[in-house]
Amino acid sequence: MATTTAAVTLTSDLLSDNISVTTDTTCMKGGTTADGLDQMDMGYIEIATGTNFDLLDSNNSGLNNNKANKVYISNESTDETYYAEITIDATVIGRLYAGDWMFIPWGAEDATADIEIRAYGGTNKITYAYFHEGRTLVSA
Amino acid sequence: MATTTATITLSSTDLLSDEIALTTTATLTSAGNSTGLTGTSGLGRKTTSSASQYILFDADDYPSGPAKAHKIYLKNTSTSAGEFFTIAHNAEEIGRLYAGDWAFFPWSNHDGAADIKITPSVSSSITLEYMLLTD
Repeated sequence: MATTTAAVTLTSDLLSDNISVTTDTTCMKGGTTADGLDQMDMGYIEIATGTNFDLLDSNNSGLNNNKANKVYISNESTDETYYAEITIDATVIGRLYAGDWMFIPWGAEDATADIEIRAYGGTNKITYAYFHEGRTLVSA
Repeated sequence: MATTTATITLSSTDLLSDEIALTTTATLTSAGNSTGLTGTSGLGRKTTSSASQYILFDADDYPSGPAKAHKIYLKNTSTSAGEFFTIAHNAEEIGRLYAGDWAFFPWSNHDGAADIKITPSVSSSITLEYMLLTD
């Protein structure tokens, strides 16, 4: 079994008492503690402005639908006015500004639940990783 | 100015033949500038007792508009592997947060319907830990 760990630490002096939240999880297949997610895709891309792209295509193969897939996206841009708009299907989830990252479970519940990305401000530099139970390759 | 940071570490020694060791730290700022985020819900917990859908964050309750850099942290505190929360943004499912899993993501409350919603997989007691950091 592959063991992949995702840990997060949040710190802040926003309140009169410091915020310090730390947790981690071992990325398991859905509904089990016996088998870890054992497949992944990872990449770095530069995305020009003007087009909404599919970053991750939700194929409806049944391999990854409604599972415990995990997606990490980081905007490596350094200009604070740059951002990448993250959409699932047609719903804008949020803006990933320069330097921001996100880590979410991805349901990929149907064929249209793609994770889409659109760059604003200029060409955005994006790192991403997708941990999953399998995906169907497109026939040549 | 408040300083809020979020650090993620992804690691694995056996998923690939080479080790995965990725660490990224973000200093959380307002949209399009370097001013730190100024609001938070603080760390909270919601224990559900039915399999109904709940509104965790109502879009109308926070400074709205697409040009915001709100961030959301969620953790499913359950220890039963099969128990999960389905996380949704308005009507769009994001994914299933299984026992022990956490998530951190930007939130665009671009209109009044853009609520963050949770649906437990079980009608028995299950607890979600959460924090909202607002722009």
